[in-house]
Amino acid sequence: MILSALILVPLLGSLIVGFYPGVISLALSRSITIGFASISLLLTIATGVMFDLSHIGLQMQEFLPWLPDLGLNYSLAIDGLSFPLVALTNLLTVLLAFNSSVGLKPGEDLKRPRLFYSLLLLVNSGVIGAFLAQNLMLFFLFYEVELIPFYLLIVIWGSAKREYAATKFLIYTALSGVLILAAFLAMNWLTGAASFEYGAIDTTDLSRNTQLVLLALLLVGFGIKTPLVPLHSWLPDAYVESSAPVSIMLGGILSKLGTYGIIRFAVGLFPETWVSVAPVMATIAAITVIYGSFCAIAQTDMKRMVAYSSIGHMGYIILGTAALTPLSMIGVISQMVAHGLILALLFYLIGMIESKVGTRELELLNGLLNPIRGLPMISALLILGAMASAGIPGMVGFVAEFMVFQGSFAAFPVQTLITILGTALTAVYFVILLNQTCFGKLDTKSSYYAPVARWEYMPAFILTAVIIFLGIQPSWLVRWSQVTSDAIAFVM
Amino acid sequence: MSHPLIQSIWLLPIYTLMGAAFSVIWFPGITRRTGPRPAGYVNALMSLIAFAHASVALFYAWDNPAVDFTVPWLQVANLDLSIPFHIDPIALTACTVITGLNFLAQVFAIGYLELDWGWARFFSLLAFFEAGMNFLVLNDSLFFGYIALELLTLGTYLLLGLWFNQSLVVTGARDAFLTKRVGDLFLLMGVVALLPIAGTWNYTELAIWAETANVDPKVMTLLGLALLAGPMGKCAQFPLHLWLDEAMEGPVPGTILRNSLVVQVGAWVLVKLQPVLALSPTVLNFAIFIGALTAVGGSLIAIAQIDVKRTLSYPTSVLMGCVFIAVGTGNIQAALLLSLSHALAMALMVMSSSAVVWNSVTQDVTQLGGLFSRRPISGLSYAVGGLAMIAMPPFGGFWAMLQLVEGLRTPHPWLAALVIAVNAMLAFGFTRVFCQVFLGKATKFTERSPEVHYWMIFPMMIVMGFVLHLPLILSAADALPNWAEISKDSAVILTWSTVSGIALAAVIYLSPTVSKPVKLPSQALQDLFAYDFYTPQLYRNTIIGFVAISSRLLSSFDRIWIDGVGNFFGFATLLSGQSLKYSTSGQSQFYMLTIVLGLVGIGLWLCYPLLNVG
Repeated sequence: MILSALILVPLLGSLIVGFYPGVISLALSRSITIGFASISLLLTIATGVMFDLSHIGLQMQEFLPWLPDLGLNYSLAIDGLSFPLVALTNLLTVLLAFNSSVGLKPGEDLKRPRLFYSLLLLVNSGVIGAFLAQNLMLFFLFYEVELIPFYLLIVIWGSAKREYAATKFLIYTALSGVLILAAFLAMNWLTGAASFEYGAIDTTDLSRNTQLVLLALLLVGFGIKTPLVPLHSWLPDAYVESSAPVSIMLGGILSKLGTYGIIRFAVGLFPETWVSVAPVMATIAAITVIYGSFCAIAQTDMKRMVAYSSIGHMGYIILGTAALTPLSMIGVISQMVAHGLILALLFYLIGMIESKVGTRELELLNGLLNPIRGLPMISALLILGAMASAGIPGMVGFVAEFMVFQGSFAAFPVQTLITILGTALTAVYFVILLNQTCFGKLDTKSSYYAPVARWEYMPAFILTAVIIFLGIQPSWLVRWSQVTSDAIAFVM
Repeated sequence: MSHPLIQSIWLLPIYTLMGAAFSVIWFPGITRRTGPRPAGYVNALMSLIAFAHASVALFYAWDNPAVDFTVPWLQVANLDLSIPFHIDPIALTACTVITGLNFLAQVFAIGYLELDWGWARFFSLLAFFEAGMNFLVLNDSLFFGYIALELLTLGTYLLLGLWFNQSLVVTGARDAFLTKRVGDLFLLMGVVALLPIAGTWNYTELAIWAETANVDPKVMTLLGLALLAGPMGKCAQFPLHLWLDEAMEGPVPGTILRNSLVVQVGAWVLVKLQPVLALSPTVLNFAIFIGALTAVGGSLIAIAQIDVKRTLSYPTSVLMGCVFIAVGTGNIQAALLLSLSHALAMALMVMSSSAVVWNSVTQDVTQLGGLFSRRPISGLSYAVGGLAMIAMPPFGGFWAMLQLVEGLRTPHPWLAALVIAVNAMLAFGFTRVFCQVFLGKATKFTERSPEVHYWMIFPMMIVMGFVLHLPLILSAADALPNWAEISKDSAVILTWSTVSGIALAAVIYLSPTVSKPVKLPSQALQDLFAYDFYTPQLYRNTIIGFVAISSRLLSSFDRIWIDGVGNFFGFATLLSGQSLKYSTSGQSQFYMLTIVLGLVGIGLWLCYPLLNVG
């Protein structure tokens, strides 16, 4: 029942915040959201306690026939692939509920808070549902449910070009959904499976070409969500035009659905075909890393730079998945978590800078480390976050990247080495970012920044603490997924 | 059973990290109430504790076999990442030097940064550095060595960026970080590639593996070159050398550590990896080539520098170049001796020149002069440091150089000659600076330039004591080359090269008949040396230009093509929808026309093969 609770608790919260007939003040709706999100987080911890580390395959299964004629059942389960992502999602949701006004101008209140908090919880519920669903149609429903809330989140709380960005996001993601739906339906019909249950689909009897076509549909579908170069062009606009909390949701929570889908459905259901296309995917991964990093170097907007860096970091995940060794798969799962944490931290801090200084343009920022007039603590955390993203040891990003590199090297040495070179480019754009924002001389004539309240730091502190803790004690991260990643790697 | 202090040696990095963590409390808020100083005292104390621990442990470890133990860190898939510690007298000596010099540098910093507010940041970074270096020398794994090197890269960036509102500091920090990171990442490639081949990252096991290894020479060459890149960046070897010179913009007490110790971490990894590198003669030759190139080029550039701090940056690269030569030719003992003597002597010289910089208006050597009578201790320190760095008997550098030349004499006479020439040039360079700063007539910049205060003089004198006693310590430890076995010719030639370098510089820079500033016959040649062989331009026109242009090109490609294609489809859809809406006019003739046109189209398509046949 605990898995259903993970979906239903935020859904309930969303309904209460959104549809309670009386007046709910901003503070109250925030408290309710924090309450429900915290319950979810506690449930996640409880799931972690109950989680059987040595169990191979899915556990805590829940099954309810829903529309058996259609093959659609309410079937949930969790394993070492989905648990870390569920935990990440719920952690980020609590932090976002705690401070949803990050990125707003000083004194400005979050507009339409009830709708915002309602959508935040709805997104949480939908993403968790997608991570837990073990029925292809159920997964698809959860996957599509995300679309509308995100469209609204971008278009209502976004900045100047938000309508363009939201429409682009909608079209791309809808296309992704159509392709995935086509693949799922075809898989069900062609294999003659009795239902859309994950375990019921067996593609081994399909001809090679059919498998390739189906796999390609899935890869393009999930590749849009991930995103992979060249399917990424919705991402920079969506991230940049969204408000800070929404971009954290997009980058930290939603983008994980793409890579999750690739591992669960593309690799999980077509293991042999995946192995045959793996060299191509590894090459695409290397291109994605290099491409994203080069584009990031040329950006002048901090957020756009980090958005492109996020594209580059997705390349590591695809590389490790292509290699499909036990080590690379643990690296991949860890990298998904690491990327979510680090991206959330960076977007959060950029949002803070935007709200205090009023700009994200690198040309206009300077000397924020200044201890008296600048934003020293935010700058210090930004340095830390950027270094974590650049893969400096001692933080969670390094451990994950290293496992991906070491795990993939034997399978794809050239692509791995190119990817490591891409890490050098990561350092280049982050040094540009830090030198422009944190270093340099603060213009003391214009630097009258609103004070940062202690509580505003809280989410950043928590994220930083988790990033460092998991960097120093990575066993806490990898222990969940050891068995699962072994199993995924040995499907071949 | 080894001594408890040896068993608990892993505490060394922890001490200073505790100090660093503690000084975070002084992050701006509390500084307004207490002033920044307590952060410095706490860190200096922690360094002192670490030094005491290391030196007592060294005392007990002496003449005892190495102690090995592992600390579990991460066990994942088929990879066991436990931290192996290998505690032998060499590692403990290194720790003692690291902790000792770091403590003295911190005391020096207490004096040097008297009026600075960034103490908490500065001292915690020094502590971070010390922890990183201790961890590097104590652990016995290339993987954790890589981690330590990366942390030191980050530390260099932050430490250099201490005075972040000066533009030269910002560019210096950037270049240091990127240059070292490039080296580190090549090393990472080597680390990743080495494991499948060798099956281990432990230096000890690697050495055993290398004895019997049978590897494809091409693979081994590529691997070796990647492994070499890390130390090249750390040791500021050509073409990754420029950062060390730019790093001189950072705070001086950090320079003491950087020029004497931090550059050595590369040498440490190099020495540990020597058996692996030796599997490919190409790699060793490349190391020798790079070392020789840096040694010769660096000593020429050093002579042309006029900033008193920068005159010390290139000699560091030069000495490290000699270490590269030593490792490349298998003279490990000489490499270790060079590292040790260089560390102490360079620390002393940086302290002395920093003291001059601290309370003189200028740091341009051509504007200084006659300081010896006003600053006898600084002057003496500079002289002793300089003499101990080059081959001047009976100082430490002499024995190190002698060991190297002895090792090179028979197999590589040309390299031996090169080292001797480099030694002469170093002697010339140091004497030049000494003459320009401390001797000669006082200038208007040096007339009122007194000796600095005790916080800086004390550490300087203690280091001077160590430098002077180094030969005695080494002889007590049986680490000096055996006088009976070495050729006296090498010793004489080396000494002679030193003396001639000193004499030539003294004549040129003290004699009134030579016009100042001293000019080379060719201005182009002089500029070539003064502007670091135009390496900055070389960077700008090659790698930096490449990255800048590629990023701009790819970014426009992304905007125009990738984004453009998506937008085109969107736009085309909108446009066709917009225009098609006019087709719903309600007139049946129009619908008929569309149907007819469609039928004609289909008909043509069906008939196409027939038409084609005709």
